[in-house]
Amino acid sequence: MDDLSSIKQSFLHELSLVQGIAGLDDIRVKYLGKKGVLTGKLKTLGALPPDERRSAGIVLNEMKVLMENELALRKQALKNRELEKKLASEALDITIPGNYTPPGRLHPLTQTMLDIIDIFSAMGFSVEEGPEVETDYYNFEALNIPREHPARDMQDTFYVSDDVVLRTHTSPVQIRAMQKRKPPFRIIAPGKVYRCDADISHTPMFHQIEGLMVGEDISFSHLKAVLEAFLHRFFSPDVPVRFRPSYFPFTEPSAEVDIGCIFCKGAGCRTCKTSGWIEILGAGMVNPRVFEMSGYDPQVYSGFAFGMGIERIAMLKYSIDDIRLFYENDIRFLRQF
Amino acid sequence: MRVSLDWLSEFITLDKPAEEIADILTMAGLEVEAIELADDDLILEVNVTPNRGDCLSLLGIARELAVLTGKPLKMLPCEVKGETEPGKKIEIRDETLCRRYTGRIIKNIKPGPSPRWLQKRLESYGMRPINNIVDVTNYVLVELGHPLHAFDLNTLKGDSIIIDTADKIYQKIKTLDGIERKLPEDALVIADTEGPVAVAGVMGGALTEVEESTTSIFLESAWFKPQSIRKTSKALGLGSESSYRFERGTDLEILPVALDRATCLLQELAGGVPSKKLDAYPVKFTPARIETSPGRVNRLLGTAIEKKNMISILDRLGFSPEEKASSIMVTPPSYRNDIEREADIVEEIARIYGYNGIPTALPSSSLSAEGIGPMRKFMRQVKNVIRGAGFDEAINFSFMSPDALDFLELAPGDIRRNAVRILNPLRKEESLLRTTIIMSLLEDLKYNLSRDIRSIRLFEVSKVFIRDEGEDLPREPLKLGGIFMAQKTYRFWQKNGEDFYIVKGVVEALLDEFRITGRSFEKCQEPFLHPGKSAKIVIGGKDAGFVGVLSPVLKEKLDIKAREDVLVFELDLYMVIENLPAVPVYGPIPKFPYMERDVAIVVEEYLRAADILKLIREYPSEYIEDAVVFDLYKGGKLGPGKKSLAFNIRYRSGGKTLTEEEIDSIHKGVIASLLEKTGGSIRQ
Repeated sequence: MDDLSSIKQSFLHELSLVQGIAGLDDIRVKYLGKKGVLTGKLKTLGALPPDERRSAGIVLNEMKVLMENELALRKQALKNRELEKKLASEALDITIPGNYTPPGRLHPLTQTMLDIIDIFSAMGFSVEEGPEVETDYYNFEALNIPREHPARDMQDTFYVSDDVVLRTHTSPVQIRAMQKRKPPFRIIAPGKVYRCDADISHTPMFHQIEGLMVGEDISFSHLKAVLEAFLHRFFSPDVPVRFRPSYFPFTEPSAEVDIGCIFCKGAGCRTCKTSGWIEILGAGMVNPRVFEMSGYDPQVYSGFAFGMGIERIAMLKYSIDDIRLFYENDIRFLRQF
Repeated sequence: MRVSLDWLSEFITLDKPAEEIADILTMAGLEVEAIELADDDLILEVNVTPNRGDCLSLLGIARELAVLTGKPLKMLPCEVKGETEPGKKIEIRDETLCRRYTGRIIKNIKPGPSPRWLQKRLESYGMRPINNIVDVTNYVLVELGHPLHAFDLNTLKGDSIIIDTADKIYQKIKTLDGIERKLPEDALVIADTEGPVAVAGVMGGALTEVEESTTSIFLESAWFKPQSIRKTSKALGLGSESSYRFERGTDLEILPVALDRATCLLQELAGGVPSKKLDAYPVKFTPARIETSPGRVNRLLGTAIEKKNMISILDRLGFSPEEKASSIMVTPPSYRNDIEREADIVEEIARIYGYNGIPTALPSSSLSAEGIGPMRKFMRQVKNVIRGAGFDEAINFSFMSPDALDFLELAPGDIRRNAVRILNPLRKEESLLRTTIIMSLLEDLKYNLSRDIRSIRLFEVSKVFIRDEGEDLPREPLKLGGIFMAQKTYRFWQKNGEDFYIVKGVVEALLDEFRITGRSFEKCQEPFLHPGKSAKIVIGGKDAGFVGVLSPVLKEKLDIKAREDVLVFELDLYMVIENLPAVPVYGPIPKFPYMERDVAIVVEEYLRAADILKLIREYPSEYIEDAVVFDLYKGGKLGPGKKSLAFNIRYRSGGKTLTEEEIDSIHKGVIASLLEKTGGSIRQ
């Protein structure tokens, strides 16, 4: 059987030299084919005496199984190698950019507005809309700003006719909401407003968000809590908030709301004009006269209203120093947000 | 209002640093916007809200400080001596517009420059010194907040000072600034027996002006109705320190005090012999009586301020509180004409108590929360789809130049010519409200091109404004507009083909997003678009907008040199909303497989793919599930005027698996029908 072991040696040796799947077949034929080396040995079994035939048969069959297994293993190995080669040849330059359309950006004012709306929405406020071209009644009269009232000086108005204006604030939506809804309700009204004013810090069109909450026991404490919650959510939970008395014809008492300067942390800088505070919104309890004009009994209902300029808030949020940038629509600006 | 601390200290002892005073005032509603250093003085820039006319004076500011700090108010000594008969009488002919008029004559007065200390004070306020007589009236205005006027007595004709509306009698007056003015009929004037000598509360007349040669004056201290003064001042385009205060309401009771104070100062600075005081006071001041309940105050504020604390605050404010069983009766002083009802009392209590002392309490939550609502949700979705297609969001002013309508070559009857006109625009270019977004986007394009930006995709969602004949307010349709221009850019993946289809694809993607099925793209008549590369967007059978290549004529007018096309689109979003489908109803997923067949046919170039697809879909076979066009080819062997369109048709039965033979037979029929109806041929 020394003969057999040398057959095995040469089989394994030849197998290790094969580089292609085609070569494997040659080896199979050489050893296991009809005229193969091992097949030849098997044919000689018949000539052996019966007692030797049996044990020699076992040995030869084991050899056959071994060769078949080795051939299969080798075949798999060669296949794997070929696949690897193929894959390697197909490799891409993965640093070349993907084929996509870079998404456009929402305008920073839109993004700011969405953030603000979402915060108030989470506090149960619904969104209300109103026309941008308004009657004098909704824009002024119903908000307790009669003609010849000095408060009209607070807002330079674009007129379309004697009785029709471009709304100077989102506050007329308060009146429209009161006419449409039944208390208790809480709404916000985002939108464009217009004032006849253009300089380094004013544009003739800008954006506001108005808020109104009406019910039977709404107090100044509620106003403070809601606005504080908003400011803490929007800016940061530890930003200081202060309320100070002010005047709006449609609220009484009225307040201006300041936050501690987010740039200098109250130390005093250019943005806060060294005061350490930044004025952020106007607010107050709904003036009973406004309720009366809209047919609400101020003995029964109370409410608060607030309003804020989106540009100002967006400027603080993104450190933008010139309001006019919002309306130039320079793509290099728009793509930063 | 500019407040000199040096001057203010004549009314109240100031023993705190300026910053602290500023903070006290700010936190009580008199916002100090700046503190300015001036020589040896400090000036507070105080923002006085329109309701607090009483604080447009040093006295007013001092009064507030007295309430807030507990320091006493100092009154200025003044005693007018040597009273003679005035020799004039006052005739108020409109008692509503002039409830009180006081005055006196001062003879033998010597006009001249004011002493330096007085000039300095006027300058600290921002006033220009003129002469001692005018300066004193201004000085008292700043001190007490009450406007005074001095007439040259010798120029006043007759023995009456008449206060009346201009009507048709007093039509013209030459004011101090030398301008001849026509008076509105309802303007209040001061007149002598010959004619008007001053526009009451607004400006004096040139003829009665105090000059160097003046020897006697008539000094006026009067009350005029705020609304009347404001109206006249607006109508004449004339504003003054006086009219500013009269508009905000002046104190009826301070008239003689101001008159005496000025008289004293004049005697000191310009000599003169004052007459007795004239005081016509037909409609007396009647103080308001306001009842307020501490319970209601606390309920509105969310506080628990004790009644006695409220009374103390009201007492310091000079509101003469009277304690009743369950309420407080308040009588506000004559200078607080802004206090009219309980809400005003609530504010005063809150203001002095301090807003920051009011606790916070979140209101209980409401179950009726509607969220942001369908409209806002829709707008967000629109913006996100367009943004996903690579468009950046622009926001433009709602204005439009009247030239834009002609620039876009809109036809005379085009609805977009019904623009709302602004009566007082800032510039002519911004005198209309826009009726389309396109013009703004074209301007944005120009702006970016001129800054060497080569790839421009912008969109805007905004209302536009269409004037409706006979309606007060315009319609405000909501539009989505977009602009696209892709010049040669160094991107790795280049797209080939007509940009039209990219931009049309954006519109289609949006309509797909909202599952708008009843839509088509039809030939478009927009005068500013390329007639062959533009389409009208039709939704539910109605014109909902357009998409297309800007016409070469407009491109040239815009001076755009680049070879690439400019594409624009505009879509009426309310029309999209109107056509939103109902909630989808589930339909079963097909059980049997589909089979596909392709066919390419050569047809006349003018035939539209949509029409051929329609022919396929309408072919009478229940097995045609869908068909799409997948290739368009022109030129080559096809020859001029011809094109090849390739279609993929999908066949499926709902009840069985179709056999090859069945499909082939239907497909043959479809092709035959197409060739017959289009006059085309199979592409070889």
